[in-house]
Amino acid sequence: MNSIWAIARNTIAQALRMKIAGVVIVLLLILLPMMSMIMIGDGTLLGKLQTFSSYGLSLVGILLCILTIAISTFTLSDEIKRRQIFLVVTKPVRRWQILAGKFLGIVIVDVVLLGLFSGLIFGLTLFMPRFVAAGPDEVIKADDEFFTARMGLKVSTDEEVLQERVKQRYEKLKEERRLPETMTQVEVLTELMREERLGEQSVEVGRVRKWTFKNVYPSSDPNTMIFIRYKLDTSNAVSDVTVYGLWAAGDLTAYEQGADALTTPIYNLQKDSATRAVQEFAIPVNAVNQDGTLEVGFMNNPNLNTMTVIVQDLEVLYKVGTFSGNFWRATLLIAIRLFFLAALGITLTTWLSFPVAVLGCLVIFSAGIVNGFIMESIDGLGAGIGILYTYTIKPFLLLLPQFDGIYNPTGYIVSGRIIQWLFLLKTAAITIGLKGLILFVFGIYIFYRREVAKSVV
Amino acid sequence: MAQSQFAIETISLTKIFPDWWGRPRVVAVDNLNLKIHSNEIYGFLGPNGSGKTTTIKMLLNLLHPTRGASIVLGGSSDQAAVSSRIGYLPEESYLYRYLTAYETLDFYGRLFGLPNSVRKARIDTLLEMVGLAGAGNRQVGTFSKGMARRIGLAQALINDPDLLILDEPTSGMDPMGTRQMKDLLVELGNRGKTILLCSHLLADVEDICDRIGIMYGGRMQVEGSVKELLEQTGKTYIQTSRVSDAVLSQVRSILEQEQCECDIVHPMDKLESFFVRTVNRAQQEMQTTSGAGMGSGISGFLAEKEIVRQPGILDKLVTSRAAEPVKTDEQETVAVKPEKEEPVQNRELLSQLMAAKPTASGRPETARPTEPAESAEAVKEDLLNQLMDRNKPIDGSTTPIDNPK
Repeated sequence: MNSIWAIARNTIAQALRMKIAGVVIVLLLILLPMMSMIMIGDGTLLGKLQTFSSYGLSLVGILLCILTIAISTFTLSDEIKRRQIFLVVTKPVRRWQILAGKFLGIVIVDVVLLGLFSGLIFGLTLFMPRFVAAGPDEVIKADDEFFTARMGLKVSTDEEVLQERVKQRYEKLKEERRLPETMTQVEVLTELMREERLGEQSVEVGRVRKWTFKNVYPSSDPNTMIFIRYKLDTSNAVSDVTVYGLWAAGDLTAYEQGADALTTPIYNLQKDSATRAVQEFAIPVNAVNQDGTLEVGFMNNPNLNTMTVIVQDLEVLYKVGTFSGNFWRATLLIAIRLFFLAALGITLTTWLSFPVAVLGCLVIFSAGIVNGFIMESIDGLGAGIGILYTYTIKPFLLLLPQFDGIYNPTGYIVSGRIIQWLFLLKTAAITIGLKGLILFVFGIYIFYRREVAKSVV
Repeated sequence: MAQSQFAIETISLTKIFPDWWGRPRVVAVDNLNLKIHSNEIYGFLGPNGSGKTTTIKMLLNLLHPTRGASIVLGGSSDQAAVSSRIGYLPEESYLYRYLTAYETLDFYGRLFGLPNSVRKARIDTLLEMVGLAGAGNRQVGTFSKGMARRIGLAQALINDPDLLILDEPTSGMDPMGTRQMKDLLVELGNRGKTILLCSHLLADVEDICDRIGIMYGGRMQVEGSVKELLEQTGKTYIQTSRVSDAVLSQVRSILEQEQCECDIVHPMDKLESFFVRTVNRAQQEMQTTSGAGMGSGISGFLAEKEIVRQPGILDKLVTSRAAEPVKTDEQETVAVKPEKEEPVQNRELLSQLMAAKPTASGRPETARPTEPAESAEAVKEDLLNQLMDRNKPIDGSTTPIDNPK
């Protein structure tokens, strides 16, 4: 342990003397306070908070990732190049201890810098409402939608039911010999599925659609609010029209059946919404049934609308944690990336030179950032080609780290959504405990076999 | 671990560097069977590229042998138990430029797992010993090559090694440092350390070493004790105080009666000429080497240049060239002289460090470099005494080294 610690300390000393470390530190110390002042977003306090935290965290994340890549690929390769490693490997130090010491050193640098800059963003965000002239409405909105950690639940469509319906429609078309001749079977099925999905979301003029959310367990505090978040669109291609709708929430089934005793109050809300923009409204917590179900209904007002309305991304949100807890979990999500990159960089330099290793790291890092996109495009390929890729490239892509989509911390902070501990631990276990460790063990294996003094006579 | 009678033993050690395609390209070390006894100072000689450094790197597991094996201190140097007893100074002091001298030694001390108090005491002692006590807080990057060399030596000694492997320890050192280094090595040898010394300064090697081996083209050309190799058995050398011419002529006539040729002076053969002879012989036998051959005077483009040279410039160069060896000689002489000029403190420290003080329980080879009980005070007082005496035989009647001088 003593020698691992000695090597870690030496790595820290080495890292802090790298010019890139100084540049990153100075840049962030100047940029973050500046960004907090000049970023406005959509003009509201909420918009300002969302823009600053989003850009701030992304900037810290990306710069520290680059710094980690630079340090981790430099530290060992430079010692080998300058042959300082001769005086280390000839000491009673095992080679895995050298790599572990390097890793520990980089982790410490990362933790300190990430703590410093995340703390800076955290502080600036907390103080922002005091320095912005914002009305009480804006402050409440910011508290409800930003300074919070909310659970988000989406409508779960029953895929099996949809597939059954698609199958039936397909069989019917086949019987009636109405199948389009220019389309393959897969294409027809895909199109039918798309229509079915759209059907689940669309509300025709004068009709009512009801969605049921399960496992809604907000805190029982009667002052708690539940947020319904949605986006509206119309069947008509005209963009940006205002849709008038009537929303209802509560025990709607019992209400429809005309039951005498309702288990929850029914809340109604008349709301005009612009299309194609995320909207949100709040209802009190007692709209949720004891068994954790919440029904939300939308009526397409026939007196005001003439088009079918499509309700997209319907989501129920409610507060389950605090902003600060969530913010630091987001920071940990960034830390997971950094630790993985540290292991990757060190591993690559056990057999590659600095420039090659940096390139390799950057490629893998970029692949991690667009991992979800790559996966989707492979999944979206035609069936024949899709199978080929599923068994060749996809397994390798699964080995890559995932930094985008649900693994991107800024999305959670901007929408005030909770990062659950279980998710965080799972991500850490997979990214560091599995992928990082496999890499690191591989690096140790190579380093044990390597002749560090390979040179001419 | 069974203690072999040899501190270093190699068995048909061979290193072949392949080219990019994996074909054997350069035979750096060829079937080397090196045997270095415990408590011996071994001079490992050879021209550039003869495989000395490659051999050392194989001994230290920095390179893997193509064939053969090496046994170091009864094991392999990648075992912690073995490497904790080795001190290594590479051909250049590959130090971290951003660490201070103190931090450097602290770093290596930690790698040896030395407890805090012992480490601190040893660093102070070593810094004084190598004459850098005043520069302990300076970054190593600001040091001259010779100073870096001294730190390099200090780091090789921080674990009180049983085996010292030194590659060109005096390169870049000033004559005083060289002299100190030589004294120190002799002392370390007297105290039972095994030293493998690679050097091109043949006079130094001749002074210090018990045995030498000369490598050429990756093969051992000659090996033996300095006395054996350099003694001219066909001649007799009588050393007397000054005698009168009459006595001399009497001696001469007696010797002539015995039909002996007689010269008044019988200088000992110098190692340098012997070394050159060995290498020359190897070259005449057309043995292969991947390193530099021996120069044969000025030739090639340099010779052409000489023809068209402008008078004056090259003359100057030549004279300065020619002056260089002389200068070295002078320096050597100077190096011996400064006993009285040298900072008294340094000198005293060295002698204090080296003063023989047999320990009560000096069982050879079993003593370990670090003892947890070792207090900072004790170490500070006479670290090297302790370090050096530990391996000395108890009776002390037989000096392990029979120096020919």
